[in-house]
Amino acid sequence: MGIPRVLCRKNRVLLGELIKTDFKLRYQGSILGYFWAILRPLLMFAILYIVFAKLLNFGNDIPHYPVYLLTGTVLWNFFTECTGQGINAIISRGDLLRKISFPKWIIVVSATATALINLGINLCVIVIFALINGVSPSFSWLWVFPLILELYAFALGISFLLGAINVKYRDITSIWDVFVQALFYAVPIIYPLTMVLNSGGSFGQFAAQIICLNPITQVIQDVRYNLITDATITTWSIVDGFARAIPILIVVLTLVLAALFFRNRSKYFAEEV
Amino acid sequence: MSKKVIQSRKSTSGPVENSKKTVIKVTDLHKSFKLPTERAAGLKQAIFNRLKGIKGYTEQKVLRGISFEIKQGEFVGIVGRNGSGKSTLLKLLAGIYTPGQGTIEIDGTLVPFIELGVGFNPELTGRENIYLNGALLGFSNSEMTAMYDEIVRFAELEPFMDAKLKNYSSGMQVRLAFSIAIRARGDILILDEVLAVGDAEFQKKCNDYFASLHGNQTVILVTHSMENVRQFCDRAILIENGEITADGKPEAVATAYENLWSQG
Repeated sequence: MGIPRVLCRKNRVLLGELIKTDFKLRYQGSILGYFWAILRPLLMFAILYIVFAKLLNFGNDIPHYPVYLLTGTVLWNFFTECTGQGINAIISRGDLLRKISFPKWIIVVSATATALINLGINLCVIVIFALINGVSPSFSWLWVFPLILELYAFALGISFLLGAINVKYRDITSIWDVFVQALFYAVPIIYPLTMVLNSGGSFGQFAAQIICLNPITQVIQDVRYNLITDATITTWSIVDGFARAIPILIVVLTLVLAALFFRNRSKYFAEEV
Repeated sequence: MSKKVIQSRKSTSGPVENSKKTVIKVTDLHKSFKLPTERAAGLKQAIFNRLKGIKGYTEQKVLRGISFEIKQGEFVGIVGRNGSGKSTLLKLLAGIYTPGQGTIEIDGTLVPFIELGVGFNPELTGRENIYLNGALLGFSNSEMTAMYDEIVRFAELEPFMDAKLKNYSSGMQVRLAFSIAIRARGDILILDEVLAVGDAEFQKKCNDYFASLHGNQTVILVTHSMENVRQFCDRAILIENGEITADGKPEAVATAYENLWSQG
């Protein structure tokens, strides 16, 4: 089954309807409604900013540190929201699967799409903050789009893989929750990478390199580099040669393997869910 | 794509030219489910079972070699006791389950209603629910727009389409769901249990509608009501323990069904 069959009109219509429904229902019954999509990361940012930038004095050496921090938080929130929704997508739509037949990937993609829409809104907020903060616009900003695509592909891959396993072994949800908590500290969101680099000789250097092989780090740092300041340490600047391709390879491999696994398992979702 | 399922979906809209055409062909269909014995629904238990060489499930054969053909325009009733495999058969036809063995060939579009109002959301309006339900059944927006007025008219819910579903009475909800089911234009209609819903007047309307379908629409109906079988069906199939034990005239099959209990 090729790409054209997968994206046939029937599937596109259903995907569109499900995304529309999810988005409509998301903030149903809350007074501020869609505004929460912006407000939540801003509040999160405010907390991190007060604790880390003001109280602990992180990031003094980085220009536009508040925007830098905000960008990291927004991208991280996108990743966790995307995977959180994606991994549970099949289970939470189990009632549907048992009664009607349609391509299962549509459920996963539609569940993650809300996160993508929220990210779009938040990017506008970031751009406004950046301009207020005195960052000058440039064409390198366009790099943000392929980078986000990469992060989305990674989140989607994880969602397909773990979502398919989750149908049978519900432990995955809990394991992933804990794992994400740990992962948060393995990605330079609240701390600048320079802190790791300067933490002590060759070990600091090694640790920073390992951190940069994580696709999430690579995307966040590259977005910061292109959007805010070239005083950002990126995967490209810190690792050499073939190793520079590792984050991309991880993303591609995860997505391809996950898609194959998901397609294989999806025949049995209706029985197992 | 499994090689076992051949589903050619040629659209056969328009007037019936050859009413003897076979639209569904099921050959030697088997299906079994793995029922977990000890609680195997956890990672720990699964690893544990594997280490100890325990299978962790028993295999329950639900369908054991079902074969039948359905011709265009036939109104077929499928009957049988609880747990005989009727619903599993329906879900296999609808493509929800994958056959364990055997083939299902379907010619035309199949609109399954295993349950009415699948995907209905109480927070959406009646209109939004119709379009969502339609998309789930595989209809495009323009197809739904073409059917929309008729659905609403049949459900007699014109003034309520912009109200949220949660504010509908349960009778109204089921009328809306049912109207989508019978107005959805597919070559083959699959219904589980429900034929008539709502108050006496609406039920009469439903019955009249099904009576009018005779010979024009292929319908597969799973039911426990022998009254319905005698009234609407051209043919009935009795399933016992995953096998077809009777297939033929509704009257004969309905009697065979009723005799299941008298024999004890």
